[in-house]
Amino acid sequence: MMIKVENLKKSFGENEVLKKINLEVEKQEVVVVIGPSGSGKSTLLRCINLLETITSGHVFIEGTDIADKTANINKIRQDVGMVFQQFNLFPHMTVLDNIMLAPTKVKKVPKEQAKAKAMELLGKVGLAEKADAYPDSLSGGQKQRIAIARALAMEPKMMLFDEPTSALDPEMVGEVLDVMKQLAKDGMTMVVVTHEMGFAREVGDRVIFMDGGYIVEENEPNQLFAHPNEERTKAFLSKVL
Amino acid sequence: MIKKLSVLSLLLTLVLIFTACSSGSGSGSSAKKETSKKVLRVVNDATYPPFESLDKGKMVGFDVDIMKALGKVSGYKYKLVNVGWDPVFAELKSKTADMSISAISITADRAKTYDFSKPYFLSTNKILVSKDSSIKSAADLKGKTVAVQTGTTGQAAVEKIVGKNNPKVKKFKTISLAIMEMQNKGAVAVVADNTVIEQYARNNPGKNLKVVEDKDAFEPEFYGIMYPKDSKLKPVFDKAINKLYSDGTYEKIYKKWFKVAPDLDTLKAQQ
Amino acid sequence: MGVNPIDIIREYLPFLASGTLFTIGFSLAGIVFGTILGLLVCFGKMLNNKVLSAPFVCYITFFRGTPLFVQILLIHFGVVPAIFGQSNGIISGIVALSLNEAAYIAEVFRAGIQSIDEGQTEAARSLGMNRLQAMRYVVLPQAVHRVLPPMGNEFISLIKDSSLLAAIAAPELTYWAQAMGAQYAITWTPYLAISFIYLILTLTMSFLVNRLERRMATK
Repeated sequence: MMIKVENLKKSFGENEVLKKINLEVEKQEVVVVIGPSGSGKSTLLRCINLLETITSGHVFIEGTDIADKTANINKIRQDVGMVFQQFNLFPHMTVLDNIMLAPTKVKKVPKEQAKAKAMELLGKVGLAEKADAYPDSLSGGQKQRIAIARALAMEPKMMLFDEPTSALDPEMVGEVLDVMKQLAKDGMTMVVVTHEMGFAREVGDRVIFMDGGYIVEENEPNQLFAHPNEERTKAFLSKVL
Repeated sequence: MIKKLSVLSLLLTLVLIFTACSSGSGSGSSAKKETSKKVLRVVNDATYPPFESLDKGKMVGFDVDIMKALGKVSGYKYKLVNVGWDPVFAELKSKTADMSISAISITADRAKTYDFSKPYFLSTNKILVSKDSSIKSAADLKGKTVAVQTGTTGQAAVEKIVGKNNPKVKKFKTISLAIMEMQNKGAVAVVADNTVIEQYARNNPGKNLKVVEDKDAFEPEFYGIMYPKDSKLKPVFDKAINKLYSDGTYEKIYKKWFKVAPDLDTLKAQQ
Repeated sequence: MGVNPIDIIREYLPFLASGTLFTIGFSLAGIVFGTILGLLVCFGKMLNNKVLSAPFVCYITFFRGTPLFVQILLIHFGVVPAIFGQSNGIISGIVALSLNEAAYIAEVFRAGIQSIDEGQTEAARSLGMNRLQAMRYVVLPQAVHRVLPPMGNEFISLIKDSSLLAAIAAPELTYWAQAMGAQYAITWTPYLAISFIYLILTLTMSFLVNRLERRMATK
């Protein structure tokens, strides 16, 4: 079991955005989370690597409860890669330095070794020629592919994607999804919050539909898209499909 | 809230402008009546008790009383304004003020740029030290750190002994800062007009101070009213000063502030 | 009429020169110590714990909310004699300018750090960096770039503010201008002369800051 979420609740002040969430993600599983905006799906993702504090309940990463104060969150996060909607590349560094920063500073990987790994990852996302470019000179799609390479440089055991294509122009969505598909094929454990239903259907092992802070329904993609059980799922799918 | 604040600030601004204007033009009604004699602008640096200082916002001191008596005798109306030491000189030079009575010693350097009245006060520099000090004369100040008020004859008197602009002479804008420096052991002595430091020592018996006199080293000085060069007011007030000497007013004011009788003979001899 | 201003300036030239050196010294000390201390105060104020951050908030409030002139007198006649047993204009000057500058620098840095998008910290933390690493490698380098212009302004203010040290007889430029003006009972010559020197110092400072900015921009 890679990720186990148990009775997770999260409130922002009076506003409870996650209401008793239970979820398990197996090794090499690709779980796609869909739902209307404000349903709590991004918050759920951010709770899994503790970018948001947990109000109550537990999140276990490979058996370690990250809500426990004694857990070494910095160590755990090295195993949990995250890709953001807004890319969040470091603008003051070249693409290469963006990718090498965490491995060299956190894992103390020797520079040469980190560089070789970074170049390999850049090749994988098809941007080897951009190694010395600064993020500002890249397109949105390129930035997101670099962000994925940056997360992969830490050799994480699982990856979280928080609406990775939502900030992109439509013609750039494909290049990012292709990288993600390849990653899934290579056996990466992934939790993906997205509005790309095609991706969910094609790559997802399981699709979770969230609404109002609850997991309303979950199933394998073909079942969920073709035969939703819940009224709210039906209503949502009728709008997006 | 913001609206209230902006109204308040607008009001404050108006008040400021109003007061600025009214103080600039003097009391309007009397100026109209006295067309022949305008209201004189008399400036000083009111940080020098007992000559001029602010007591609860009111200007008081020996010079203030002398000016009042001179105004009465000469028939001039005047407005006494505290502008600070440097501005006193700037205002007279640019003739924005008519005269200054501010414990100003008559010196040859100053007389090159300004006119002085006949002397109206005799002063000697003395040394203020702590009670246990070994300093007994001006010569003992050599090699010691001495605090003075910038530009006073006290500064000149010390520098005459230890050398001009000697770094061991610390110059302060006001006499109270110089005395504070000594009390904090940043200097071993303060040299200033006898009247000032004697009064300070008298008023602060708890601070264990004593005043050292050195008649040979420090020459007597005379204070004068200072005017811009070639002022037409000089003869008028010179006459008024002599009137105060002869009718006993001067002696009365002197005794009020310094508790002793003035040395009128030396003062008159200086004319 | 009076003494020739050129002669007066010539006479005071050595004092103005040493005064200029003192002004530069005070300013540099204020800039260096103020920046180091300011950075610490800034981090102190940004602590999540209200009790721990309170002293830093008070520090900034006091030094930004009261006149520097009063701070100089307090430090010269109160703090320094209490510590060293006697007042010392040079120590007081360095301490007062550094403490005052630190409060302003702390606020400049805080604004700079807070202007960096939260996503930068999140990205750094999600890669396994701790708070300090995220601050050092990701946030601060970007913030420094952004705070350079307002820091330059603070440094220029500091050079001019050092003139207040004349009050405690610290032998800097304004002190000698006062001595010069008082001796000859003149105003324009000394103050215009030192204004010219201050202008050269502040212009040099803005030139240096500009160059630094440009070098960082191309980097």
